[in-house]
Amino acid sequence: MIEGLLTSEATWLHFFIYFALTVLLLFIVLGFVTYAILAERKVMGFMQLRHGPNQVGGRWGLLQTVADVLKLLIKEDAIPRAADKPLFILAPLIAFTPAFMVLAIIPFTDRFQFADIGVGLLYYIAVSGITTVGVVTAGWASNNKYALMGAMRAAAQMISYEIPLVMSVIGVILLTGSMNLNDIVLAQENGWYILWQPIAFIVFFIAAVAELNRVPFDLAEAESELVAGYFVEYTGFRWAFFMLAEYVYMFAMSALITVVFLGGWLPLPYLGFIPGAVWFALKFMVVIFLLIWFRVTFPRIRADQLMEFGWKVLLPVAIANIFLTALLKEWINLF
Amino acid sequence: MSGEFFIFIVLSLIAIGGGIMMINLTKVVHMVVALVFTFISIAGIYVMLSAEFIAVVQILIYSGAITIMMLFGIMLTRHNDKSETSGGGFRKFLIFLAILGFGLVFYLGIYQLELGEPSTSLHENNTEQIGIALYSKYIIPFELTSVILLVALIGAIVLAKRDDKEGEERE
Repeated sequence: MIEGLLTSEATWLHFFIYFALTVLLLFIVLGFVTYAILAERKVMGFMQLRHGPNQVGGRWGLLQTVADVLKLLIKEDAIPRAADKPLFILAPLIAFTPAFMVLAIIPFTDRFQFADIGVGLLYYIAVSGITTVGVVTAGWASNNKYALMGAMRAAAQMISYEIPLVMSVIGVILLTGSMNLNDIVLAQENGWYILWQPIAFIVFFIAAVAELNRVPFDLAEAESELVAGYFVEYTGFRWAFFMLAEYVYMFAMSALITVVFLGGWLPLPYLGFIPGAVWFALKFMVVIFLLIWFRVTFPRIRADQLMEFGWKVLLPVAIANIFLTALLKEWINLF
Repeated sequence: MSGEFFIFIVLSLIAIGGGIMMINLTKVVHMVVALVFTFISIAGIYVMLSAEFIAVVQILIYSGAITIMMLFGIMLTRHNDKSETSGGGFRKFLIFLAILGFGLVFYLGIYQLELGEPSTSLHENNTEQIGIALYSKYIIPFELTSVILLVALIGAIVLAKRDDKEGEERE
């Protein structure tokens, strides 16, 4: 589809087809974000023996997030006088755009995918790195010490944890012989990579939580130390963009974990009559639940512990996993 | 006008615009952000040339890592510096001549350049081809590069360590 659109005449028809598809995906993602926030609050509530939101929109608080977003949209848009104005306006966009761009390569089912490129896995990691620039820009432009410290922490953390993230998937790439996400899914027909690559899965999952800036690795927005982190000075709509980027990344990262380690749209044995989209959704929701569970269970770790854990534990484990995988693949010919 | 051409025009405009802004803006952080746009659009041009691996690595290394390093460097040093315009008319004239000469040399060089028959199979399994070339044909330069990088890494650690000790002694 992409090939055809690129080499054809740039007609308005093609443009609108593509545009409509993208807008559709955007609305799906927005719907997801709305209810992911609600689900997170509900699950956190139940785990802490509370009720969670239960006032707006019936007994389950189904319209709580909608009301929250409405509140954000009609809030006054304040820009501090001492802020670096152009960068202050640009930063939320730089942070959000890559979050949406990475969704292009995720194969939701064997047919529903926007771009099928050979370096899909690497594309995800590379493009998601641009968000760091947005975060640092936001912290800088706010002209606030807490914002700047939050931004510095975010940048240091994202760069440190990107390395174990990449290193852990090298095992998967070795076994598949490709970085294309479709090939990776198809290579899991004999067993998901969570079985063949358990170490890689654990390292990847921890690094993914850190990349998502979620508890226990949410030092960039540690409320008790930094008020709110890099978006202290942001209000209303612009702040909503940072929140949106965070949750879209949660969507993308869960989808990526589903694709790389849980076999994407592939069914369990003997259950092939259930369509692939349902399987994808089920696995996806399990990953999301795991992320929320992590958030409720673990306390926030200290900044020095964070760095030590990333460099001294995760990275060596990931490298050992590459070595082990190479040995298994070459000598024992398991795969 | 094919879609490819249109995208090429857009990408090159962003790349050149980012470069010009980088030179003309006065605040250092603004310059770096302009530079990010240039890097990303150059990656886009790589994609158009079917070099997807290079494109992704360009984004990963340049617009991801190196830019962040620059921002860190700027923030940790004197960041409120603004670039100053300097020099009189004669100096500007000399610079103009130099730019003209540079442009002329490059125009002649590129205009006469003969690249030979463009190969047609380079875009298939791009990453695999790069890997095979690196590990068979260019193995010694590749290994040498890794040694140089390792030396730089160790050098950085040694420098940082020594700094620390001196600080302690002074205290």
